Amino acid sequence: MSDVQNHDVDILIVGAGPSGLYAGYYAGFRGLKIAIADMLELPGGQITALYPEKKIFDVAGFPEVLGRDLVDRLVAQVEPFAPIWILGQRIEGLERSGERWSVQLSGGGRVTTTVVVITGGIGTFEPRALPVGREYEERGLIYYVPKPTELAGKNVVIVGGGDSAFDWAMALEPIANELTLVHRRETFRAHEHTIELVQNSRTKIITSAEVTAIYGEEQLTSVEVTLKSGSVEVIDAEVVVAALGFVAHLGPLAEWGLEMSKRTIIVDTAMRTNLPGVFAAGDITEYPGKVRLISVGFGEAAIAVNNAMTVIDPSKSVFPGHSSENT
Amino acid sequence: MAYAIGAACIDIKDKTCMDVCPVECIYEGGRKLYINPVECIDCGVCVPTCPVEAIRPLEEFDGGDIEFATDNATFFSEALPGHEYPLGNPGGVSRTGTIGVDTTLVSGYHPR
Repeated sequence: MSDVQNHDVDILIVGAGPSGLYAGYYAGFRGLKIAIADMLELPGGQITALYPEKKIFDVAGFPEVLGRDLVDRLVAQVEPFAPIWILGQRIEGLERSGERWSVQLSGGGRVTTTVVVITGGIGTFEPRALPVGREYEERGLIYYVPKPTELAGKNVVIVGGGDSAFDWAMALEPIANELTLVHRRETFRAHEHTIELVQNSRTKIITSAEVTAIYGEEQLTSVEVTLKSGSVEVIDAEVVVAALGFVAHLGPLAEWGLEMSKRTIIVDTAMRTNLPGVFAAGDITEYPGKVRLISVGFGEAAIAVNNAMTVIDPSKSVFPGHSSENT
Repeated sequence: MAYAIGAACIDIKDKTCMDVCPVECIYEGGRKLYINPVECIDCGVCVPTCPVEAIRPLEEFDGGDIEFATDNATFFSEALPGHEYPLGNPGGVSRTGTIGVDTTLVSGYHPR
Protein backbone atom coordinates (compact mmCIF):
# COMPACT_ATOMS: atom_id res chain seq x y z
CA MET A 1 0.00 0.00 0.00
CA SER A 2 3.02 2.31 0.11
CA ASP A 3 3.00 4.93 -2.59
CA VAL A 4 5.62 7.49 -3.55
CA GLN A 5 3.06 9.95 -4.85
CA ASN A 6 2.88 13.53 -3.64
CA HIS A 7 -0.42 14.83 -2.33
CA ASP A 8 -1.91 18.27 -1.80
CA VAL A 9 -4.71 18.36 0.74
CA ASP A 10 -6.51 20.65 3.17
CA ILE A 11 -6.03 18.42 6.18
CA LEU A 12 -3.60 15.66 7.01
CA ILE A 13 -4.63 13.34 9.82
CA VAL A 14 -1.67 11.58 11.41
CA GLY A 15 -2.87 8.33 12.93
CA ALA A 16 -5.76 6.16 11.70
CA GLY A 17 -7.07 5.05 15.08
CA PRO A 18 -10.62 5.79 16.24
CA SER A 19 -9.93 9.49 16.86
CA GLY A 20 -8.18 9.89 13.50
CA LEU A 21 -10.93 8.11 11.58
CA TYR A 22 -13.58 10.21 13.26
CA ALA A 23 -11.55 13.36 12.55
CA GLY A 24 -11.62 12.17 8.93
CA TYR A 25 -15.39 11.99 9.03
CA TYR A 26 -15.69 15.54 10.37
CA ALA A 27 -13.19 16.85 7.83
CA GLY A 28 -15.28 15.23 5.12
CA PHE A 29 -18.45 16.71 6.55
CA ARG A 30 -16.79 20.15 6.32
CA GLY A 31 -15.99 19.51 2.66
CA LEU A 32 -12.23 19.26 3.10
CA LYS A 33 -9.74 17.33 1.02
CA ILE A 34 -8.34 14.73 3.39
CA ALA A 35 -5.31 12.49 3.76
CA ILE A 36 -5.10 9.93 6.58
CA ALA A 37 -1.70 8.46 7.37
CA ASP A 38 -0.69 5.60 9.63
CA MET A 39 2.33 3.43 10.21
CA LEU A 40 0.11 0.33 10.37
CA GLU A 41 -0.97 -1.27 7.10
CA LEU A 42 -4.57 -1.29 8.33
CA PRO A 43 -6.77 1.40 9.87
CA GLY A 44 -7.87 1.15 13.48
CA GLY A 45 -4.75 2.05 15.44
CA GLN A 46 -4.63 0.66 18.96
CA ILE A 47 -7.84 -1.35 18.46
CA THR A 48 -6.48 -3.14 15.40
CA ALA A 49 -3.04 -3.67 16.90
CA LEU A 50 -3.97 -4.66 20.43
CA TYR A 51 -7.56 -5.77 20.79
CA PRO A 52 -9.56 -6.31 17.61
CA GLU A 53 -11.57 -9.06 19.35
CA LYS A 54 -12.24 -7.17 22.55
CA LYS A 55 -15.71 -5.85 23.25
CA ILE A 56 -15.93 -2.13 23.88
CA PHE A 57 -18.73 -0.91 26.13
CA ASP A 58 -18.25 2.86 26.33
CA VAL A 59 -19.01 4.10 22.83
CA ALA A 60 -22.12 6.27 22.98
CA GLY A 61 -25.11 4.54 21.43
CA PHE A 62 -23.42 1.13 21.29
CA PRO A 63 -24.09 -0.87 24.46
CA GLU A 64 -21.40 -3.22 23.20
CA VAL A 65 -19.31 -3.29 20.05
CA LEU A 66 -16.46 -5.55 18.97
CA GLY A 67 -13.20 -3.65 18.38
CA ARG A 68 -12.90 -4.64 14.75
CA ASP A 69 -16.57 -3.83 14.08
CA LEU A 70 -16.12 -0.33 15.50
CA VAL A 71 -13.14 0.19 13.20
CA ASP A 72 -15.13 -1.06 10.18
CA ARG A 73 -17.94 1.36 10.99
CA LEU A 74 -15.58 4.30 11.47
CA VAL A 75 -13.98 3.52 8.11
CA ALA A 76 -17.43 3.28 6.52
CA GLN A 77 -18.26 6.67 8.02
CA VAL A 78 -15.25 8.42 6.47
CA GLU A 79 -15.06 6.47 3.20
CA PRO A 80 -17.80 8.47 1.35
CA PHE A 81 -15.52 11.52 1.61
CA ALA A 82 -12.79 9.69 -0.34
CA PRO A 83 -9.82 10.31 1.94
CA ILE A 84 -6.37 9.57 0.57
CA TRP A 85 -5.11 6.62 2.62
CA ILE A 86 -1.38 6.67 3.29
CA LEU A 87 -0.93 3.42 5.20
CA GLY A 88 2.21 1.54 6.13
CA GLN A 89 4.23 4.73 6.07
CA ARG A 90 5.85 6.79 8.75
CA ILE A 91 5.66 10.58 8.84
CA GLU A 92 9.33 11.48 8.92
CA GLY A 93 9.30 15.25 9.11
CA LEU A 94 7.03 18.26 9.41
CA GLU A 95 8.28 21.49 7.82
CA ARG A 96 6.65 24.88 7.45
CA SER A 97 6.21 25.83 3.81
CA GLY A 98 4.87 29.40 3.63
CA GLU A 99 1.52 29.32 5.42
CA ARG A 100 1.19 25.58 4.93
CA TRP A 101 2.96 22.39 6.03
CA SER A 102 5.10 20.05 4.01
CA VAL A 103 5.27 16.53 5.35
CA GLN A 104 7.88 13.95 4.40
CA LEU A 105 6.70 10.34 4.17
CA SER A 106 8.97 7.34 4.78
CA GLY A 107 8.02 5.96 1.34
CA GLY A 108 9.62 9.01 -0.33
CA GLY A 109 6.45 10.98 -1.09
CA ARG A 110 5.36 14.30 0.34
CA VAL A 111 2.07 15.71 1.55
CA THR A 112 1.46 19.43 1.35
CA THR A 113 -1.36 20.42 3.68
CA THR A 114 -2.91 23.47 5.27
CA VAL A 115 -3.54 21.87 8.64
CA VAL A 116 -2.33 18.79 10.45
CA VAL A 117 -4.34 16.91 13.08
CA ILE A 118 -2.17 14.54 15.10
CA THR A 119 -4.16 11.58 16.39
CA GLY A 120 -1.11 9.52 17.19
CA GLY A 121 -2.42 7.76 20.31
CA ILE A 122 0.35 6.05 22.19
CA GLY A 123 2.71 6.21 19.21
CA THR A 124 3.35 4.22 16.08
CA PHE A 125 2.86 0.48 16.29
CA GLU A 126 5.52 -1.67 14.76
CA PRO A 127 5.42 -5.44 14.67
CA ARG A 128 7.55 -6.98 17.41
CA ALA A 129 10.58 -8.50 15.73
CA LEU A 130 11.77 -12.07 16.11
CA PRO A 131 15.03 -12.21 18.05
CA VAL A 132 16.69 -13.75 14.99
CA GLY A 133 16.49 -13.52 11.22
CA ARG A 134 15.61 -9.88 10.62
CA GLU A 135 17.83 -10.00 7.50
CA TYR A 136 15.14 -12.16 5.86
CA GLU A 137 12.49 -9.43 6.03
CA GLU A 138 10.82 -9.26 2.60
CA ARG A 139 12.65 -12.46 1.62
CA GLY A 140 10.26 -14.79 3.36
CA LEU A 141 9.94 -13.23 6.83
CA ILE A 142 6.69 -11.29 7.07
CA TYR A 143 4.61 -9.68 9.83
CA TYR A 144 1.19 -9.51 8.19
CA VAL A 145 -0.81 -11.80 5.93
CA PRO A 146 -3.06 -9.40 4.04
CA LYS A 147 -3.59 -11.87 1.17
CA PRO A 148 -3.42 -15.47 2.37
CA THR A 149 -3.88 -16.80 -1.20
CA GLU A 150 -0.38 -15.55 -2.05
CA LEU A 151 0.98 -18.19 0.30
CA ALA A 152 -0.92 -21.08 -1.31
CA GLY A 153 1.18 -24.21 -1.74
CA LYS A 154 4.03 -22.94 0.45
CA ASN A 155 5.53 -24.30 3.63
CA VAL A 156 4.65 -21.73 6.25
CA VAL A 157 5.73 -21.33 9.87
CA ILE A 158 3.67 -18.98 12.03
CA VAL A 159 5.30 -17.75 15.23
CA GLY A 160 3.06 -16.54 18.07
CA GLY A 161 0.16 -17.55 20.27
CA GLY A 162 -2.33 -14.69 20.01
CA ASP A 163 -5.34 -13.87 17.85
CA SER A 164 -3.33 -12.88 14.76
CA ALA A 165 -1.33 -16.11 14.83
CA PHE A 166 -4.50 -18.20 15.05
CA ASP A 167 -6.50 -16.12 12.55
CA TRP A 168 -3.73 -16.54 10.01
CA ALA A 169 -3.40 -20.24 10.80
CA MET A 170 -7.12 -20.58 10.04
CA ALA A 171 -6.73 -18.69 6.78
CA LEU A 172 -3.64 -20.61 5.64
CA GLU A 173 -4.53 -24.11 6.82
CA PRO A 174 -6.68 -24.95 3.76
CA ILE A 175 -4.15 -23.61 1.21
CA ALA A 176 -0.60 -23.88 2.55
CA ASN A 177 1.50 -26.95 1.86
CA GLU A 178 2.73 -27.60 5.38
CA LEU A 179 1.70 -25.28 8.18
CA THR A 180 3.47 -25.11 11.55
CA LEU A 181 2.66 -22.89 14.49
CA VAL A 182 5.44 -22.23 16.99
CA HIS A 183 4.71 -20.62 20.36
CA ARG A 184 7.01 -19.79 23.27
CA ARG A 185 4.56 -20.77 25.95
CA GLU A 186 2.34 -23.75 26.73
CA THR A 187 -0.92 -21.77 26.64
CA PHE A 188 -2.38 -19.56 23.92
CA ARG A 189 -4.02 -16.14 24.13
CA ALA A 190 -6.42 -16.41 21.21
CA HIS A 191 -10.16 -16.93 20.96
CA GLU A 192 -10.92 -20.34 22.48
CA HIS A 193 -12.99 -21.53 19.55
CA THR A 194 -10.28 -20.59 17.04
CA ILE A 195 -7.63 -22.39 19.10
CA GLU A 196 -9.78 -25.51 19.09
CA LEU A 197 -10.31 -25.36 15.32
CA VAL A 198 -6.59 -24.98 14.66
CA GLN A 199 -5.72 -27.75 17.13
CA ASN A 200 -8.09 -30.07 15.31
CA SER A 201 -6.74 -29.14 11.88
CA ARG A 202 -3.65 -30.50 10.12
CA THR A 203 -1.60 -27.59 11.50
CA LYS A 204 1.45 -28.83 13.38
CA ILE A 205 1.62 -27.03 16.72
CA ILE A 206 4.89 -26.78 18.66
CA THR A 207 4.66 -25.16 22.11
CA SER A 208 7.30 -24.12 24.65
CA ALA A 209 9.61 -23.51 21.71
CA GLU A 210 11.39 -20.58 20.16
CA VAL A 211 12.71 -19.85 16.70
CA THR A 212 16.46 -19.74 17.25
CA ALA A 213 17.71 -19.39 13.68
CA ILE A 214 16.45 -18.71 10.18
CA TYR A 215 18.34 -20.17 7.23
CA GLY A 216 18.27 -19.45 3.54
CA GLU A 217 20.12 -17.98 0.61
CA GLU A 218 18.29 -15.52 -1.62
CA GLN A 219 15.05 -16.55 0.04
CA LEU A 220 14.31 -18.09 3.38
CA THR A 221 14.42 -21.91 3.25
CA SER A 222 14.21 -23.25 6.80
CA VAL A 223 13.71 -22.42 10.44
CA GLU A 224 15.46 -23.79 13.49
CA VAL A 225 13.15 -24.31 16.44
CA THR A 226 14.54 -25.01 19.92
CA LEU A 227 12.26 -26.56 22.51
CA LYS A 228 12.49 -25.75 26.23
CA SER A 229 13.68 -29.33 26.69
CA GLY A 230 16.73 -28.39 24.62
CA SER A 231 15.94 -30.48 21.56
CA VAL A 232 16.28 -28.78 18.20
CA GLU A 233 14.19 -29.21 15.09
CA VAL A 234 14.76 -27.74 11.64
CA ILE A 235 11.59 -27.12 9.62
CA ASP A 236 11.50 -26.45 5.88
CA ALA A 237 9.78 -23.14 5.27
CA GLU A 238 9.54 -20.58 2.51
CA VAL A 239 7.57 -18.18 4.65
CA VAL A 240 7.78 -17.27 8.33
CA VAL A 241 4.94 -15.19 9.72
CA ALA A 242 6.05 -13.44 12.91
CA ALA A 243 2.80 -12.70 14.76
CA LEU A 244 4.29 -11.49 18.03
CA GLY A 245 2.15 -8.42 18.53
CA PHE A 246 3.19 -4.82 18.36
CA VAL A 247 5.46 -2.41 20.14
CA ALA A 248 4.56 1.27 20.31
CA HIS A 249 7.17 3.95 19.76
CA LEU A 250 6.55 7.66 19.84
CA GLY A 251 8.59 7.91 16.64
CA PRO A 252 9.82 11.08 14.96
CA LEU A 253 6.95 13.16 16.35
CA ALA A 254 9.09 14.07 19.36
CA GLU A 255 11.41 16.01 17.01
CA TRP A 256 8.77 18.23 15.41
CA GLY A 257 9.04 21.08 17.89
CA LEU A 258 5.73 20.29 19.59
CA GLU A 259 5.30 21.23 23.22
CA MET A 260 5.14 17.84 24.91
CA SER A 261 4.84 16.25 28.32
CA LYS A 262 6.31 12.73 28.39
CA ARG A 263 4.56 10.94 25.51
CA THR A 264 1.75 13.45 25.12
CA ILE A 265 1.17 16.73 23.25
CA ILE A 266 0.00 19.82 25.14
CA VAL A 267 -3.14 21.33 23.59
CA ASP A 268 -5.51 24.21 24.43
CA THR A 269 -9.31 24.03 24.57
CA ALA A 270 -9.49 24.17 20.75
CA MET A 271 -7.05 21.23 20.50
CA ARG A 272 -4.39 23.58 19.10
CA THR A 273 -0.77 22.64 19.70
CA ASN A 274 2.00 25.25 19.97
CA LEU A 275 2.60 24.99 16.18
CA PRO A 276 0.36 27.08 13.87
CA GLY A 277 -2.20 24.97 12.02
CA VAL A 278 -1.22 21.83 13.92
CA PHE A 279 -3.94 20.30 16.10
CA ALA A 280 -4.07 17.10 18.11
CA ALA A 281 -6.84 14.83 19.39
CA GLY A 282 -7.30 11.54 21.20
CA ASP A 283 -5.03 9.69 23.58
CA ILE A 284 -1.99 11.74 22.58
CA THR A 285 -3.29 15.07 23.95
CA GLU A 286 -2.74 16.44 27.41
CA TYR A 287 -4.46 19.27 29.29
CA PRO A 288 -5.82 19.70 32.81
CA GLY A 289 -8.64 17.23 33.36
CA LYS A 290 -7.73 14.96 30.44
CA VAL A 291 -9.41 11.54 30.39
CA ARG A 292 -7.95 8.96 27.97
CA LEU A 293 -10.98 7.21 26.47
CA ILE A 294 -12.29 6.57 22.97
CA SER A 295 -15.36 8.68 23.66
CA VAL A 296 -13.21 11.63 24.68
CA GLY A 297 -11.08 11.14 21.56
CA PHE A 298 -14.18 11.41 19.37
CA GLY A 299 -15.13 14.69 21.00
CA GLU A 300 -11.61 16.07 20.68
CA ALA A 301 -11.50 15.05 17.02
CA ALA A 302 -14.66 17.09 16.38
CA ILE A 303 -13.22 20.07 18.28
CA ALA A 304 -9.87 19.85 16.45
CA VAL A 305 -11.30 19.56 12.93
CA ASN A 306 -13.96 22.25 13.33
CA ASN A 307 -11.44 24.67 14.76
CA ALA A 308 -8.99 23.71 12.03
CA MET A 309 -11.70 24.69 9.55
CA THR A 310 -11.27 28.35 10.47
CA VAL A 311 -7.53 28.10 9.75
CA ILE A 312 -8.21 26.62 6.32
CA ASP A 313 -10.96 29.14 5.52
CA PRO A 314 -11.25 32.07 7.95
CA SER A 315 -14.69 32.96 6.52
CA LYS A 316 -16.10 29.68 7.91
CA SER A 317 -17.44 29.32 11.42
CA VAL A 318 -16.23 26.82 13.94
CA PHE A 319 -19.71 25.36 14.28
CA PRO A 320 -20.31 22.90 11.46
CA GLY A 321 -24.11 22.88 11.57
CA HIS A 322 -25.92 19.68 12.47
CA SER A 323 -25.15 16.58 10.45
CA SER A 324 -28.85 15.67 10.55
CA GLU A 325 -29.61 18.73 8.37
CA ASN A 326 -27.58 17.33 5.49
CA THR A 327 -29.80 14.61 4.16
CA MET B 1 -3.38 5.46 36.89
CA ALA B 2 -1.20 2.53 35.74
CA TYR B 3 -1.39 -1.12 36.63
CA ALA B 4 0.67 -3.05 39.13
CA ILE B 5 1.59 -6.69 39.66
CA GLY B 6 0.65 -8.24 42.99
CA ALA B 7 2.01 -10.99 45.21
CA ALA B 8 0.41 -13.75 43.12
CA CYS B 9 3.24 -13.39 40.60
CA ILE B 10 5.97 -14.32 43.08
CA ASP B 11 7.75 -17.53 42.00
CA ILE B 12 5.32 -17.89 39.07
CA LYS B 13 6.65 -15.37 36.51
CA ASP B 14 4.56 -16.65 33.60
CA LYS B 15 5.76 -13.68 31.49
CA THR B 16 2.92 -13.76 28.95
CA CYS B 17 2.24 -10.18 30.05
CA MET B 18 5.74 -9.26 28.89
CA ASP B 19 4.96 -10.72 25.46
CA VAL B 20 1.91 -8.52 24.98
CA CYS B 21 2.93 -5.21 26.59
CA PRO B 22 3.10 -2.73 23.70
CA VAL B 23 5.56 -0.46 25.49
CA GLU B 24 7.67 -3.24 27.05
CA CYS B 25 7.25 -1.73 30.50
CA ILE B 26 7.07 -5.03 32.41
CA TYR B 27 10.47 -5.95 33.83
CA GLU B 28 11.72 -9.23 35.21
CA GLY B 29 13.10 -9.42 38.73
CA GLY B 30 14.44 -12.59 40.35
CA ARG B 31 11.14 -13.99 41.63
CA LYS B 32 8.53 -11.59 40.28
CA LEU B 33 7.67 -9.22 37.44
CA TYR B 34 7.23 -5.46 37.94
CA ILE B 35 5.36 -2.81 35.94
CA ASN B 36 7.08 0.54 35.52
CA PRO B 37 4.29 2.98 36.46
CA VAL B 38 5.85 5.85 34.51
CA GLU B 39 6.20 3.89 31.28
CA CYS B 40 2.83 2.09 31.57
CA ILE B 41 0.25 3.62 29.23
CA ASP B 42 -2.78 2.08 30.96
CA CYS B 43 -3.85 0.05 27.93
CA GLY B 44 -4.77 -2.95 30.10
CA VAL B 45 -3.76 -5.54 27.49
CA CYS B 46 -1.66 -7.45 30.04
CA VAL B 47 -4.47 -7.90 32.57
CA PRO B 48 -6.34 -10.87 31.03
CA THR B 49 -3.11 -12.64 30.00
CA CYS B 50 -2.01 -13.31 33.59
CA PRO B 51 -2.80 -16.92 34.55
CA VAL B 52 -2.78 -16.06 38.27
CA GLU B 53 -4.63 -12.74 37.95
CA ALA B 54 -1.78 -10.83 39.55
CA ILE B 55 -2.22 -7.66 37.46
CA ARG B 56 -4.72 -5.06 38.63
CA PRO B 57 -5.22 -1.28 38.42
CA LEU B 58 -3.48 0.48 41.30
CA GLU B 59 -6.71 1.49 43.02
CA GLU B 60 -7.82 -2.13 43.24
CA PHE B 61 -4.93 -3.01 45.55
CA ASP B 62 -6.98 -2.61 48.68
CA GLY B 63 -6.76 -6.05 50.19
CA GLY B 64 -3.99 -8.13 51.66
CA ASP B 65 -1.34 -7.00 49.22
CA ILE B 66 -1.87 -3.24 49.21
CA GLU B 67 1.85 -2.63 49.64
CA PHE B 68 2.42 -4.07 46.16
CA ALA B 69 0.73 -1.06 44.60
CA THR B 70 3.73 1.05 45.56
CA ASP B 71 6.28 -1.76 45.44
CA ASN B 72 6.16 -1.87 41.62
CA ALA B 73 7.27 1.78 41.63
CA THR B 74 9.90 1.11 44.30
CA PHE B 75 11.54 -1.47 42.01
CA PHE B 76 12.45 1.42 39.70
CA SER B 77 12.84 4.36 42.07
CA GLU B 78 15.22 2.82 44.62
CA ALA B 79 18.55 1.10 43.99
CA LEU B 80 18.06 -2.67 44.02
CA PRO B 81 20.43 -5.07 45.82
CA GLY B 82 23.73 -5.11 43.96
CA HIS B 83 22.81 -1.99 41.98
CA GLU B 84 24.51 1.34 42.64
CA TYR B 85 21.68 3.40 41.12
CA PRO B 86 17.92 3.02 40.73
CA LEU B 87 16.75 1.59 37.39
CA GLY B 88 14.66 4.67 36.70
CA ASN B 89 12.68 4.52 33.46
CA PRO B 90 14.85 2.44 31.12
CA GLY B 91 12.50 2.76 28.12
CA GLY B 92 11.72 -0.91 27.57
CA VAL B 93 12.76 -4.34 28.77
CA SER B 94 14.58 -5.03 25.50
CA ARG B 95 17.12 -2.45 26.68
CA THR B 96 17.69 -3.97 30.12
CA GLY B 97 17.17 -7.71 29.83
CA THR B 98 16.41 -9.63 33.02
CA ILE B 99 17.11 -7.59 36.15
CA GLY B 100 17.33 -10.75 38.28
CA VAL B 101 16.91 -9.22 41.73
CA ASP B 102 13.87 -8.12 43.73
CA THR B 103 12.65 -5.45 46.09
CA THR B 104 13.01 -6.01 49.84
CA LEU B 105 9.27 -6.66 50.06
CA VAL B 106 9.38 -9.49 47.53
CA SER B 107 12.63 -11.00 48.81
CA GLY B 108 10.99 -11.25 52.24
CA TYR B 109 8.32 -13.65 50.96
CA HIS B 110 8.79 -17.34 51.66
CA PRO B 111 9.52 -19.34 48.49
CA ARG B 112 6.42 -21.10 47.18
